[in-house]
Amino acid sequence: MRSLYLKELRLYFTAPIFYAVAGIFLIIAGIFFSNAMLRESMFAAQIAQYQVNTPVGLTEVVIQPVFDGLSILILFLVPLFSMRLLAEEKAQGTIELLFTYPLTDTALVAAKYLAGLTVLVILIAFSGVYMGILAFLSPVDWGVVLSSYLGLILLTGSFLALGLFASSLTRNQIIAAVTSFGLILIFWIMGGLAEYLASGASSKIASELALLSHLTSFLKGMLVLKDAAYYLFFSLFFLLLTLRVLESRRWRG
Amino acid sequence: MITIEGLCKDYGPRSAIRDLSFEVRQGEVLGFLGPNGAGKTTTMKIITAFMPPTSGRVSVMGFDTVKDALKARRCIGYLPENNPLYNDLKVDTFLAFAAGAKGVKSGRRKKQVTEVMQSCGLVEVGHRLIGRLSKGFRQRVGLAQALINDPPVLVLDEPTIGLDPKQIYEIRHLIKDVAKERTIVLSSHILPEVSQLCDRVAIINKGAIVAIDRPENLTNGLRDHTSIMVRVGRNVAEAVRIIGAIPGVINVSQAEDGSLIIDAGRDLDLRPAIVRQLVAADIDLYEITRRDLSLEEIFMRLITEEAASA
Repeated sequence: MRSLYLKELRLYFTAPIFYAVAGIFLIIAGIFFSNAMLRESMFAAQIAQYQVNTPVGLTEVVIQPVFDGLSILILFLVPLFSMRLLAEEKAQGTIELLFTYPLTDTALVAAKYLAGLTVLVILIAFSGVYMGILAFLSPVDWGVVLSSYLGLILLTGSFLALGLFASSLTRNQIIAAVTSFGLILIFWIMGGLAEYLASGASSKIASELALLSHLTSFLKGMLVLKDAAYYLFFSLFFLLLTLRVLESRRWRG
Repeated sequence: MITIEGLCKDYGPRSAIRDLSFEVRQGEVLGFLGPNGAGKTTTMKIITAFMPPTSGRVSVMGFDTVKDALKARRCIGYLPENNPLYNDLKVDTFLAFAAGAKGVKSGRRKKQVTEVMQSCGLVEVGHRLIGRLSKGFRQRVGLAQALINDPPVLVLDEPTIGLDPKQIYEIRHLIKDVAKERTIVLSSHILPEVSQLCDRVAIINKGAIVAIDRPENLTNGLRDHTSIMVRVGRNVAEAVRIIGAIPGVINVSQAEDGSLIIDAGRDLDLRPAIVRQLVAADIDLYEITRRDLSLEEIFMRLITEEAASA
C-alpha cells in the first residue's frame, strides 16, 4: 500500500495540473485575504472616527471570512484533484495491473485517498503564509486558526471521498470531475434548502446533511464532536461506496 | 503449476468460456492458441485473479484464485493484453513501485529492479519516461514488471503483438530465457511462435478447448496421410506416371508452382523409393521434402471440424 501511495504522490507532483491549481489557489486565497484586510482597516478607521471603544475582532472580520472563502475555493478545486485517481487507471488500463498485484481493494482505495488528501493538505498549508502575515501585523487567536484548519481539512476529506467515488464510476476524467462537482454541489445547496424549508424535520435533515453547515463551529474555534463525526462518517461512507464499485467487477459481466 | 477445473465465465447471457479444464505442469510453457474472441484473455484474467469465474475453479501453486486471491497473485507475473503502463513514470520508478506493490521486501527492491532491468535490457532507458519509449521497449517494461517479484508462474497475454520482426525476435528470446525455471502460459495467434516457444499447445475455440497436446503430436495426430513434395525438371508428365506407379501412392497432383504433391498412406515414407525411380528414369530431381501439416492447417482443420460437427 505504501508503494501505491508514493506512486500516487509522485504522479501528482510530476503532472503540471498540480502547479496550475496550486497557483490559482494561492492567488484567489490572496484576494480573499487582502479583501478581508481592507475591510478590517476600514472598520478600524470607522471605529477611530466615531470613538467607539470596542476592539475590532480580527477573528470575525479576517480569519472567518478567509476560511469561508477557502472552503468554497476548495469545493471547486477538489474535483480537479480527485478526477484522475481511478478514472485514469481505468483509461490507461493500468487498473488491471493493480487488480492483479497482491493488493487488497481496501489498500487500493486507502492509498488513493490518502495520497489525494496529502496533496490537498499541502495545498491548504500554503495558505498558512497569509496567517503568518496576519500574525506579523497583530496578535492572532491561534486556537481559532488551528480549529479552522482542522475543519477545512475534514471538509476537504469529505469532498475528496466524493470525488474518489465519482472517479471510480467512469474511465473519463472529465465525467469524473463533473460528477464529483455535481455531488458536492448537491450537498452544498442542502444548506440553502434548509433555510427555504424554514422549519420542521425536513429542514433539520437538510441542514444536518449540508456539508458546509458543519464547518461553522470549527471556524468559531469550537471543536464539536458531532461536526467532526459528520465529516468522518461522510468520508467513510463514500470510501465504502468506492470500494463496492471496485468490487463490482467480480460480479458484473 | 496451474490447475483449471470446469471453468465457465458468462458475460450476461453470452458465455465466454464453458467448462474449461486443463493443467499446466511445473516448468512447462503452455501456448494458448485461438482466434480472437475465443476466450483466451478471459481465461487469463481468471488465472491471474483479476476476476472470478462464474463457476469452476483455478488454483495457482496450490492457491485458489478466489479464496486465496492474494497468495495466488503473489505467485504470478502478468503481462496483460495491450500492456498497460504508467506513461508518466520513469522506467526505474515504475519498476520500483511494481516491486513494492508486489511485496518485494524494501531491502531487496533496489537489487531486484537492477537485476530485472539488466535481464530485460532496460538499463539504457532506465531514466526515461515510459510514455516516450518505443513499443519494443514498452513490451520489455511490461515483461519486467511481471518478473519483478521473481514469480514462479508467468501469464503473458499476446506478448509479441504489434511488434516489428526484430522486436518479436528479441521478446521471444527473452521469454525463452525466463522460461527456464518458470511455469508459463502465453497466448498468441501467431502459430509459429507458439510452436517455437511452447512445450504444449492448447487450441481454444468459442470458449472450449478443441485440442491440447505437444505441437508435434498435434501435427501427427491429425495426419491421415503422408504428403511429399517433389520438384523435377522437364518431363513432368513422365514423372507423374512413374511416381503414380509406386506402390502406396494414393494421388499425385501438380501444384500451381509446378511442383508435384504426392499423397501416400499414413506412416509411409516413400521418399527413397521416389528418388530411386526418378533417377533410374533419368529425370532431373531438384527438390524432395516431406510436408508436415503446419499449425495453421491443424488450427483451421480443428476449428472447421468443430463447426461442422456443431
